[in-house]
Amino acid sequence: MKKKNKNTQLVWYLFLLPSFLGLALFMAYPVMESFRLSFFRSNGTIEKWAGIDNYIYVFKNAGFWQAVRNTFYIGFFQLLISIPLGFIIASIINQMKWFKNFFKVIFFIPYVTSIVAAAMVFLYVLHPDMGLLNTLLSSLGLPTSTWLADSTTARWGVIILSVWHQLGFIIIISLANLQAIPNDIYESSSIDGANRFKQWWFITIPNMTGTFAFFVVMGWIGALKRFSETYILGGLQGSPGRSLYTIVGFIYERGFGGNEFGVASAAAYILFAIILIFTIFNLKISKMNKAN
Amino acid sequence: MKKNGSNKSKKLTIEIIKVVVLFCFGLIMMGPFIWMVSVSFERMANIQPPFPPRLFPKEFSFFNYEIILENGSLLKAYFNSFVVALGSVALNIFSALLAGYAFSKGVFKGKKLLFVVILATMMIPGEITLIPMYMMFNKVGLLNTFYPIIFPSLLFGFGIILTKQYFDKLPNSLREAAQIDGASEVRIFTKIFLPLTGPISATLIILSFMRSWNSFIWPMIVLSDQKLQTVPIYLASFSMEDGTRYAGLTMGLATASILPVIIVFLFLQKYIIQSVALSGLKGE
Repeated sequence: MKKKNKNTQLVWYLFLLPSFLGLALFMAYPVMESFRLSFFRSNGTIEKWAGIDNYIYVFKNAGFWQAVRNTFYIGFFQLLISIPLGFIIASIINQMKWFKNFFKVIFFIPYVTSIVAAAMVFLYVLHPDMGLLNTLLSSLGLPTSTWLADSTTARWGVIILSVWHQLGFIIIISLANLQAIPNDIYESSSIDGANRFKQWWFITIPNMTGTFAFFVVMGWIGALKRFSETYILGGLQGSPGRSLYTIVGFIYERGFGGNEFGVASAAAYILFAIILIFTIFNLKISKMNKAN
Repeated sequence: MKKNGSNKSKKLTIEIIKVVVLFCFGLIMMGPFIWMVSVSFERMANIQPPFPPRLFPKEFSFFNYEIILENGSLLKAYFNSFVVALGSVALNIFSALLAGYAFSKGVFKGKKLLFVVILATMMIPGEITLIPMYMMFNKVGLLNTFYPIIFPSLLFGFGIILTKQYFDKLPNSLREAAQIDGASEVRIFTKIFLPLTGPISATLIILSFMRSWNSFIWPMIVLSDQKLQTVPIYLASFSMEDGTRYAGLTMGLATASILPVIIVFLFLQKYIIQSVALSGLKGE
């Protein structure tokens, strides 16, 4: 009897085998190997023990700090704009009688298309003279910008692109969670005479803190890994003036542009540490909010 | 009575304002797409898009698409992307269905721990694996093939979670009858549960296809051979021989590159939106 039990257990491990084979080969091994490599001077063939030299090098490298600043700057403003904006749009869609599904689809389309294609199009959307955005702004009587032609505004070009690309995700998940708020809270408050806006401010928003925390955590993880769009818009150097140079851009440039695998691995581990600290920090804060 | 009537018309006005505001916003969201398609149909050879930007091409033509097709590189890239997507999707749903089923219906030691391990893999940034994976595939001589892109699809954490949730909703009584008959677990899975996985398989296929079709950094690292470029890499590297980019051609390529995903999305948007919404609900 006992033996039969063991045999039936074995079958389940067989079911898990493909996934865990993938995990071992393409996640566990590379993660450990990357850690080991970060202590070596390596170009892929010749390896030399370097201790923590790679980490020191990265920490002392001005380009790396530039990349960190850019990555955080773009990420911060992207989330600051996209989360409230997406939530407000979702709140409006949620209370609509008609066109609900139509608007869901319209706002979600940018999210499913590739960021590479979007960035190629935004090269022209953000063009200072012939671009769609400046034409729109000037026709509305608003000031225009040089966008990607200038290092002070190039980051804002990427922020606009990423808000545009990400908004649908925020809207769809906000909508799902808005519908999960029990209706009777609203009913009892409207008996007490609360209007729609008061309900939204005092009931909906407090009930959505978990969702906002999810956006912040996921948003930061995504933002810290930014690469594709800055690479398309700014190339390997993150032009103009390294304003679009990101942390992953640094890893990519050092690793595959310069064959400095040790330095790139150290940078990858620093990125990993930043993401970990940020995630824990964000989760702690959101838990504190919930407790209140 | 009268108050009720004015209330109603006030509500209608608010409703109309909402639609108008969202429509304007929606137009801004769709603006880049509309412009992309419009410029791609302009009969033009100049480098920049027409100024001022216009909604409809002045001289409608397939000129840009003819050049793109004549060149042939896009078709090659399409073919490559489909091969990669096919392999990735197949491995993705194969491994995710099996693992999701085991995590839902299985009884075995370490189940909870192993599930936590799967969850943890989703937190680890893939960027950290790029260099070792590159070296690993280099060592076994598989760079410049599609294998390095397809093989890692064996691990599909989000897919495992989705399938587990799906199987959790299927009743255990389905298993019990077959167990009494002495059917093996593999048989129960393939004969009873697999035929019921239509909806979740469809969702996995869509998500996995979109992910594969849009992926950029890893294919770019692995595939240096121009003949093997997938669509996003071809698009990113596209320029004329002298390095200039023609707006009309770029927009045509961009349009063509997102076409498969847009078609899949428009047909199956309900499932895609649902599955993405589900990914956010678990954040609660």
